[in-house]
Amino acid sequence: MCGGSAQPGAPRDNAGRTCRTLFRSRIPTRVGGGGGAEAAELPHSWPCSELDLSEIRLLVYQDCERRGRQVLFDSKAVQGTEAVAAQNTEDVPVRESASCCRGGGGGASPHGSPGRSLQHATEQLPKYQYSRPASDVSMLGEMMFGSVAMSYRGPTLKIHHIRSPPQLMVSKVFSTRAGSLCGSTNNLQDSFESISQDPGLGKLNTSHSSLGPCRAGSNLGLPQAGSSRPPGVAEAGPLRLTRSASFLAAHSTPVDMPSRGHHEDRDSGIARSASLSSLLITPLPSPSSSASSSSSYQRRWLRSQTTSLENGVVPRRSADETFSLADETCSSNPAIARRKKVAVSVIFSLCEKEEAQRDFQEFFFSHFPLFESHMNRLKSAIEKAMTSCRKVAESSLRVQLYVSCLMGALGEFRGTIWNLYSVPRIPEPVWLTMMSSTSERTQVCQRFLREFTLLIEQINKNQFFAALLTAVLTYHLAWVPTVMPVDHPPLKGFSESRSSQSVSMLARTHPYNPLWAQLGDLYGAIGSPVRLTRTVVVGKQKELVQRVLYVLTYFVRCSELQENQLTCSGPWSEDGQALNGSELETALEKGEVEESEYVVVTVRSQPALLPPGLPLSTAGKRGPVPAGPAGDSDTRDLDARLDQEGNTGPEQSSAVGGPGPQEPALGSCGKPQRLSRDDILRAGGEVNQPAASQVPRGEMSRRTLARSAAWLCPNKPPREGAPAAKVTFHIGSSLSPESDLESCSQTLGAGLQCLGLAPPPTSAQQGPGCLHSPGRHRNTCRPQSRSPAGPRGESGRGSGTTTAGQPPKTAPWAAPSSGAAGTGKRPREEPSPDRRAWPVSGVGVAMGVPCGDAVGKADLRIQGDIPRSESLDSALGGSDDEVCPQATVEPGQCGDRTAASLEVELPLPWARSFSSQSVRNFGRSLLAGYCPTYLPDLVLHGTSSDDRLRQCLPADLAHAVQHPVLDEPIAEALCIVADTDRGTVQVATSQRKAAEPGKLGQDVLVSSLVSGLLQSILQLHKLRVPATFCVAHLEDRLQELYLKSKMLSEYLRGHTRVHVRELGIVLGIEASDLPLLAAVASTHSPHVAQILL
Amino acid sequence: MNAIVALCHFCELHGPRTLFCTEVLHAPLPQGAGAGDGPGQGEPAEEEEGGIQMSSRIRAHSPAEGASAESSSPGPKKSDMCERFRSLAAGHPGYISHDKETSIKYVSHQHPNHPQLFSIVRQACVRSLSCEVCPGREGPIFFGDEQHGFVFSHTFFIKDSLARGFQRWYSIVAIMMDRIYLINSWPFLLAKIRGIIDGLQGKALRVFEAEQFGCPQRAQRMNTAFTPFLHQRNGNAARSLTSLTSDDHLWACLHTSFAWLLKACGSRLTEKLLEGAPTEDTLVQMEKLADLEEESESWANSEAEEERAPALLEGVERRELSKSSTDSLRSDCAGWQPRKLSVFKSLRHMRQVLGAPSFRTLAWHVLMGNQVIWKSRDAELVQSAFDVLRTMLPVGCVRIIPYSGQYEEAYRCNFLGLSPHVQVPPHVLSSEFAVTVEARPAARSNPNLAGCEDDQSLSKYEFVVTSGSPVAADRVGPTILNKIEAALTNQNLSVDVVDQCLICLKEEWMNKVKVLFKFTKVDSRPKEDTQKLLSILGASEEDNVKLLKFWMTGLSKTYKSHLMSTVRSPTASESRS
Repeated sequence: MCGGSAQPGAPRDNAGRTCRTLFRSRIPTRVGGGGGAEAAELPHSWPCSELDLSEIRLLVYQDCERRGRQVLFDSKAVQGTEAVAAQNTEDVPVRESASCCRGGGGGASPHGSPGRSLQHATEQLPKYQYSRPASDVSMLGEMMFGSVAMSYRGPTLKIHHIRSPPQLMVSKVFSTRAGSLCGSTNNLQDSFESISQDPGLGKLNTSHSSLGPCRAGSNLGLPQAGSSRPPGVAEAGPLRLTRSASFLAAHSTPVDMPSRGHHEDRDSGIARSASLSSLLITPLPSPSSSASSSSSYQRRWLRSQTTSLENGVVPRRSADETFSLADETCSSNPAIARRKKVAVSVIFSLCEKEEAQRDFQEFFFSHFPLFESHMNRLKSAIEKAMTSCRKVAESSLRVQLYVSCLMGALGEFRGTIWNLYSVPRIPEPVWLTMMSSTSERTQVCQRFLREFTLLIEQINKNQFFAALLTAVLTYHLAWVPTVMPVDHPPLKGFSESRSSQSVSMLARTHPYNPLWAQLGDLYGAIGSPVRLTRTVVVGKQKELVQRVLYVLTYFVRCSELQENQLTCSGPWSEDGQALNGSELETALEKGEVEESEYVVVTVRSQPALLPPGLPLSTAGKRGPVPAGPAGDSDTRDLDARLDQEGNTGPEQSSAVGGPGPQEPALGSCGKPQRLSRDDILRAGGEVNQPAASQVPRGEMSRRTLARSAAWLCPNKPPREGAPAAKVTFHIGSSLSPESDLESCSQTLGAGLQCLGLAPPPTSAQQGPGCLHSPGRHRNTCRPQSRSPAGPRGESGRGSGTTTAGQPPKTAPWAAPSSGAAGTGKRPREEPSPDRRAWPVSGVGVAMGVPCGDAVGKADLRIQGDIPRSESLDSALGGSDDEVCPQATVEPGQCGDRTAASLEVELPLPWARSFSSQSVRNFGRSLLAGYCPTYLPDLVLHGTSSDDRLRQCLPADLAHAVQHPVLDEPIAEALCIVADTDRGTVQVATSQRKAAEPGKLGQDVLVSSLVSGLLQSILQLHKLRVPATFCVAHLEDRLQELYLKSKMLSEYLRGHTRVHVRELGIVLGIEASDLPLLAAVASTHSPHVAQILL
Repeated sequence: MNAIVALCHFCELHGPRTLFCTEVLHAPLPQGAGAGDGPGQGEPAEEEEGGIQMSSRIRAHSPAEGASAESSSPGPKKSDMCERFRSLAAGHPGYISHDKETSIKYVSHQHPNHPQLFSIVRQACVRSLSCEVCPGREGPIFFGDEQHGFVFSHTFFIKDSLARGFQRWYSIVAIMMDRIYLINSWPFLLAKIRGIIDGLQGKALRVFEAEQFGCPQRAQRMNTAFTPFLHQRNGNAARSLTSLTSDDHLWACLHTSFAWLLKACGSRLTEKLLEGAPTEDTLVQMEKLADLEEESESWANSEAEEERAPALLEGVERRELSKSSTDSLRSDCAGWQPRKLSVFKSLRHMRQVLGAPSFRTLAWHVLMGNQVIWKSRDAELVQSAFDVLRTMLPVGCVRIIPYSGQYEEAYRCNFLGLSPHVQVPPHVLSSEFAVTVEARPAARSNPNLAGCEDDQSLSKYEFVVTSGSPVAADRVGPTILNKIEAALTNQNLSVDVVDQCLICLKEEWMNKVKVLFKFTKVDSRPKEDTQKLLSILGASEEDNVKLLKFWMTGLSKTYKSHLMSTVRSPTASESRS
């Protein structure tokens, strides 16, 4: 444990407690009681107990054309000897030594006190002992470098998964340049040798055996060079590469499509987004109906275009980021420089426990941009360590300095990663919760408004809160698109969240990375110039800080992510050759909170190697394959049955969505052993209880994991059964007793072809939401819940909006669940009494019996397979009522291609999508609660003191600009620091605006518009206007801000100078409002930036 | 997903080779963009351009595989085409699948036709199979850079009874330019690709076992070991994956699987992004349009029989209304423009024509909802005046009868155009709730228009604004009127700025109206509370209150019913909390 910044145990315990309070406060009856801000923390979504920091290993390797590979550093070979050497017991050695390297460090120096002198640092050495690298370094070196030619000079990124022991290795391989010849001349090398030969340290040269390419007697190669200058002698070098190459990329790279590059404004130092200004010139598609959400839309569209492969590749940044071995003052003639590569690798040892392993992996892969950013930091620190240690003349000291610098940097890295993983998250970010759960909207509104007004009353004495809100609205700009008025009426009930149709359509036709989009939203990086903002609330009063954070989660907005599991329903095959069986498994899960249960639906097996839909006998023939008539009749058949079912047991069916009616079928399907009697009883009885419950996450994960493991081998039967304690419904194996035999045999056949493995549900919980969740379901067959704009609802499937929320009459299910979003409870759509109208209806057909039971009946033909489900299929066909399962080609399309293309057409399998809210996203992870210390990545968090903040902020901001976590150039990085103790709000920036001494940044001007808004909301609240209405009014007022910004931008179109008085009199805009409105305007009118910012 | 998925093979003799790859082709423009219902943005042109692009790109991809291989494009050389590398039979055109809903096409060939993509896939293949080191040789790796793209690669063995070591080495690679997306998708890709590999390995294993059963290679090899014969045999034994798996449909199968993989990975995560509520003006316009559609149907039915004057008049008005609202719908929602600026070009212009005091009187009445009567011989002038004046009001507050042969009651219209000879009832003329503007033929040229040479049509008239009780000059007037006047006075502000300003002011006041409506009509709160509320809203002066009350009539039905329904729902009890 080297981070030294946080004590692992403490925050979690806290969070654990608050979590419980939170759950309590969510139960509606107790809401009034004042759950308060103490409920504002939940344990991190990632259980990190298994993440052992010492298991994060740093490896630095060098590959020289002639000399081969050498280990430059291996943290595994370092042993701390502080027990012997440390004089100051209270000093955390790592921190201490880490800071030493940064003495000379410029902008990119990581955390640590920058002012420390080298002398001071060296005095505190030696604390480390460097032994020989571990035995696996040579293999790891192979993996890091591979055998790619040296010609490519840009950095290469690699990720390896090592199975045993389970490890994840991230490597970045850099070319070295200027200065690699400089100075060191075996100094370090010699030093290491002398150390390792020091009998007192007990190190002998035992390394040759394991380290092929390394020189005998040296465990650590350091930059070697031909020229043997005395250390510290300066050479003039042409290129210094501390600056991110990407920053410069937009100039030089010929880009033939709009990119978000920018150019620098010479005077102001402001880089403007070229792309956004170019939007005015370049015709960009805009959503047909609304120009309103255009800024979000265009940002996403551009992303999809710039990362497109279709038209060849356009490297988005020049690839000259290299590893600098040169001192700032030292360089060499590049002509002589020999090409080397340096690899920096970080290896995460994974826990042996599968679950923990998977947790970390999910976190790692979903948050990779952050990991990468910290790796870049680590790399800068290593560069610095290598150059700075050359200044030390004495060799043993030099090595000590080098090692301790690297260990320091590694300590920082470990600490940051650990913090990122384990930080307490705000469990119910207001905006996201309101957006995702319609049923709880009122409660959320009430709680939010209570906190909000409390803050306005309590801490706005000196306009503190107004200042904070002004700053947040100015920089976290993602709220703007959410209030831009659309020019079409709401598709759903007025109060329903209005999700952008055009964006969700774009996501399907031109997929981009929604995680990336969300990250940009959170950081407010949607204006022009692109600015990246974080907010830190500092204060000793934890509760107050938490309140502030909680309220801010309403204003710091982003899109909500949803995870869709696309499953294919077997493609059609005329010769009956192959059919898959994808299988749905539902289970009732005991809720954690309420006395009720969830129906958990898991998609069990998904053959990954899909049989082609077209018999090859007709392969030469172009065009659609005729629809299978079987499907047609079967669907009707099914509908009839469903109707019957619906009539006989309406109560049950409406009560439980899926499972109820299938229950008898299960028994008769010859699978009774999978259901215990109790389970059946339970299913019959308890399922009628409505209300939310929560799937124990861990449980689900384990199950799915085990399942996927079991399905790895195609011919093996799947692991038998789900845990016995759970009911496992195989929805739709057959629907009624009388049909069970037939369909049972059919499904047996279906099961046979399961070749693949069940896609492990990546989101750990597969709540009922995966059936009923908003996103992509069509609901055309659900007259009851059809959206007011009927025809639109029909055609606009997958509109990305929920249709829940219509008060159901018959379904007890529909009682609003009291579950909360943050932890995976979710709103559900209620089934309508009409059985066909179920969103699950598609499930109720011909699927799943475990494959294992169906040996050797591969050619059993399934008649009905899966009719196109009205609600679940995502999309391959046109209208809902067409039964034709084929992904046929539209005549138009077909015609288009006739002349041009001769490819054999194959239908895609039909898709069915199961959506669930994804918690593994930035919106849930970067809005943090009250943290033990300041942290660099979080969009929002609170902490008790600003000491560390003051130390680290400048470097953090500089780093954020140099290595943009957003994978696009940014112009400025900002941090809003609100100090509740002092009542100050300041904005620190990466730009060299001189802040007054003692201040982190500039004080925020309180916008009078914001201030007025706060007052009127407070007064309305005092007048006992209902919370939901107050919130609606708040939205209206925000919309006013947007409209005013439109006016301002229009005004600025004709003016290069702003006459504040004029604005004040006529437009009602005051000087204090200008920064806010200008920032808002920059999201829709790039020209504003040129004038105002 | 913007990716290419490829199957690669490491040949003992020739090294890494690409066998099969699936690309994704997107429509050049997103669906719904520029679909024609958003004119005024130059979108039709874009569409056209897009169309051209599209077809040309298709052409670029279209040549049959065989043709392109023989052309000068960097396709594989003939000599490379031993059975093993030939995935699709010579001359096979490749596969395609359409995803109709998203207009995405999935196309499979042995190699991409695009030269740059060809080399990218080639590079990925080489690195996957011969450069990058994967521990255990089978497993996932990620590697890449900005120049060559980023690659998720999974290497694996396929059983082959005739191969050295009884297995052959393959990999499946997914290539993207968006490294973050690719890395985010790692767990997903790993699971899916692993599944595909399992499928392939399973098939091959069965073939392998059958072959071993029929003719045990190991024993045979033991016997023939170290003879040159073996080498030769192996040369002949170059077998395609199709025969290794004994699946004739293998490539079609892979195409389907890869296409599916690309589709599933692309739609794995979706986001829900909220957009703002429509403004009241938008809602009202939509409602009016919907009503009109209904009514025009019924009116069309009854048109034949009903010829009476009032009905006709109504019809005319409705058509007019329909026309203008359709127009306004088409125009940008933010900038609600008068239909035609034939006579009066803007409020500012009208203010110039009428003179500031008269305009103020008129505007005051307009904002308060009093009846505004224009009398003129020129119907177009009246229409134009109304078009300009209505921009001061929310759409829902505007009821126009543009030109009528008889007086219409105030409840039917707040803008009424009359021909000069029509008698207006005396009680109306003397009422403080009506204002009359008469356009009389001018005796001399209007002094207000001295500067405007192009106002010939207007210079013929002089305008007399009269009301039963003239607005006192010292009366403060509604806040919004003062702001509008300020905006109109300031010549620094362009017409567009004034338009935006009007929108802002209207929305600002409509937001107050909403609160008042909720307070008084929905919740029926007592008077004193209402007073407090009005002062919170900054609207406690008499004129402002009047204005709010009038504007309340302009709220959309949608909004009102929304508020009413929430009151009835259980959440209404929340005010207790």
